[in-house]
Amino acid sequence: MKKVLIVDDAAFMRLTLKTILEKNGFEVAGEAENGAVAVKKYKEIKPDIVTMDITMPIMDGVQALKEIKTFDPDARIVMISAVGQKPFICEAVMSGAKSFIVKPFNEKHLVKVLSQVLGM
Amino acid sequence: MSDIFGNDPMLDMFIFETAQLIEQLEQSIIEIERVNCYTEDSINEIFRIMHTIKSSSAMMHYENISLIAHTIEDLFYFLREENPENIDCLKLTDIVLEGADFIKHETDKIVEGRKSDGDGSELINSIRDYLSELKLNNPQADDEEGKRPSKNEDAGNILEDCSNQISSMDFPNQNYKAVVYFEEGCQMENVRAFLVINNLKEIAENISYVPEDIIDNDDSIEIIKNNGFLISFKSDRSYKEIHEFLSHNVVFLKELELYEIKLGGYRQLVADNQDSKEPQFFSTRQSIISVNVHKLDKLMDLVGELVISEAMVLKNPDLNNLVLNNFQKSARQLQKITGELQDAVMSIRMVPLSATFQRMNRIVRDMSKKLEKEVRLELIGEETEVDKNIIDHISDPLMHLIRNSIDHGIEKSEERKAKNKPEFGTITLEAKNTGGDVLIIVKDDGRGLNKESILSKARKNGLVGKTERELTDKEIYSLILMAGFSTKEEVTEYSGRGVGMDVVNKNIDAIGGTVSIDSIEGEGTEITLKIPLTLAIIDSMTIKTGESLFSVPITSIRESFKARNEDIIIDSEGNEMIMIRGQCYAAVRLYELYKINTEVKNITDGIMLMVENNGDALCIFADEIIGEQEVVIKALPGYIRNLKKVRGLSGCTLLGDGSISLILDVGDLTASLKEGRMKI
Repeated sequence: MKKVLIVDDAAFMRLTLKTILEKNGFEVAGEAENGAVAVKKYKEIKPDIVTMDITMPIMDGVQALKEIKTFDPDARIVMISAVGQKPFICEAVMSGAKSFIVKPFNEKHLVKVLSQVLGM
Repeated sequence: MSDIFGNDPMLDMFIFETAQLIEQLEQSIIEIERVNCYTEDSINEIFRIMHTIKSSSAMMHYENISLIAHTIEDLFYFLREENPENIDCLKLTDIVLEGADFIKHETDKIVEGRKSDGDGSELINSIRDYLSELKLNNPQADDEEGKRPSKNEDAGNILEDCSNQISSMDFPNQNYKAVVYFEEGCQMENVRAFLVINNLKEIAENISYVPEDIIDNDDSIEIIKNNGFLISFKSDRSYKEIHEFLSHNVVFLKELELYEIKLGGYRQLVADNQDSKEPQFFSTRQSIISVNVHKLDKLMDLVGELVISEAMVLKNPDLNNLVLNNFQKSARQLQKITGELQDAVMSIRMVPLSATFQRMNRIVRDMSKKLEKEVRLELIGEETEVDKNIIDHISDPLMHLIRNSIDHGIEKSEERKAKNKPEFGTITLEAKNTGGDVLIIVKDDGRGLNKESILSKARKNGLVGKTERELTDKEIYSLILMAGFSTKEEVTEYSGRGVGMDVVNKNIDAIGGTVSIDSIEGEGTEITLKIPLTLAIIDSMTIKTGESLFSVPITSIRESFKARNEDIIIDSEGNEMIMIRGQCYAAVRLYELYKINTEVKNITDGIMLMVENNGDALCIFADEIIGEQEVVIKALPGYIRNLKKVRGLSGCTLLGDGSISLILDVGDLTASLKEGRMKI
């Protein structure tokens, strides 16, 4: 089972992602509510893939992505963004985000993006 | 998707989190008003809150909520990025709070199982108007209309970077050409195209594409949708490799056309994106979990039953007169653990009052603004914890008390100045622990209560039973707690409908608390709510009358004693009184009150229990005392409650031996006695 780290400051979003992912055979190995926690948990869990929200307190998703990439250049990180955050996605993609998904997303899209990034 | 969102936990979480965020928002706003400026942090916070609500509600398909949140988010985005000058803080705050109210109102509807059908378009328009007004006044900030400017210089550079590095079109030695079509509904096709280019850089060079301005120009979305995304590049990989690479790496790929222009590379490169190593697994723990209240209620019930069962076992009549040393030892251990378990469960249910207290800030703000009074709210001891159920019951009464204070208590500034009082009215909301109770005190430095007008009003409504001279000040003030009492002649928007204080009194009474009022005319009023820490389990003394058992909360017992015949006095109305240390107390014989058959009718044969509530004491006469015991309060069955108000009983409980005991409501007894409702 592929291990996923869910990063989002909204508990609702984390629950939504978790529900969808577990239903589709992913293992949610950890959750983080901001970028700083995400970096820490990434080191602990070493997930196969990360879903990364962009707007978060303390450390935003793009910054977290950059930090994770410094110690794990192969990290597979999928940005979860809202409409209108184009500049950030662009920056994230430049910094090595594997893909992105736009909120509100649906189950099919999410699973598809993750599977593809994981090469499943 | 709907199968997922039909799920209750998801909806619960949405409601819970949204409510939390709105509360957080209100607190920031109050803080902002206090310091009278929007700091960078607060703007960021509000932006984030609205951003989260926008996304969550869109996921739940509550478009109206999402739209409002989005509009406010846009507004704060502008504030954050452009830092415009001369913002009308007041107006901004009003807009945000109005939006918050809208969201609250809609989520309330959802909670009640109704459709969230509120139309926020008017509000949205006014927010948009405000935003364009801001933009007009800050022309340097007026970027392309409707489009978000870049976050900061950094992001701006990156944007430029995005488009520049790959946009030069004429490369002579391109050997491949591809047209990528994305699936419909994948959103942000232009950024997806950018992602393709970015990925392609791994295996290709000299990349150029049409449309060129994928990032800067959102019209490119339509072009990509209609014509596909055209890429030309040079690569030394084989046709097959490139086809595979693109098919794998482009998410939402609907169709791919790939053409080789001329023969290119020979070198075979090894793909290097294998998993380098098996990651180690560490479990990560969360230190806080949220639990459904119903589950906690259930747990509490079970612990209650456990306490009863424990007593049933340990006080089992079969054990009487047996010497059971080892059993007693184990029993003590069991008692210790159940006691600890009970404390632990209780502590889980304890919630600090801070959220409830903080909510009052908003009321003070709104009302003082409307009534043009200057009022400050001071919070003391908001970390005090009480049972979750109790919190739910005191929120409304508190709100009412605060409203009353502002509306009736606090004077307008001019009036205050004339009275040599500080211009600002102050309301203090204080909570503190006293043994088994929590005191919540609402104090204002307003005009105080007028005894004369209370009395005359009470007289008019026939609420005064005793002769007026006998009434103490506290008793006079507590007249305003009675139903149908309101001294305010005119009805204002906030209070004075005559259903105020008696509702407060009823609500507090319902959770076993009491309300007391103190006031100095011209200086202020102090209202104290005395509230039990928890509802479910109380320490009680069980007494017996005839075959019936009664439990009296330990906290209300002052003493127990054997009465002597000569202490009994009969007053002019034939009521029995008892004289103790020079004080006279009413004596209530339980067998008379509840019409119970008993052998023990002589005052010297039974036992007297002096009980007290709120300073009023009376003596209860029973056959004998059974003992002290923790009991779990159960409500009286509906058919008894519905029949009519049963005097002096607050509930019932199961005792260890399985028998039923009625819990005496001392407050009700003393109150009925005072009002003369109860004939002894």
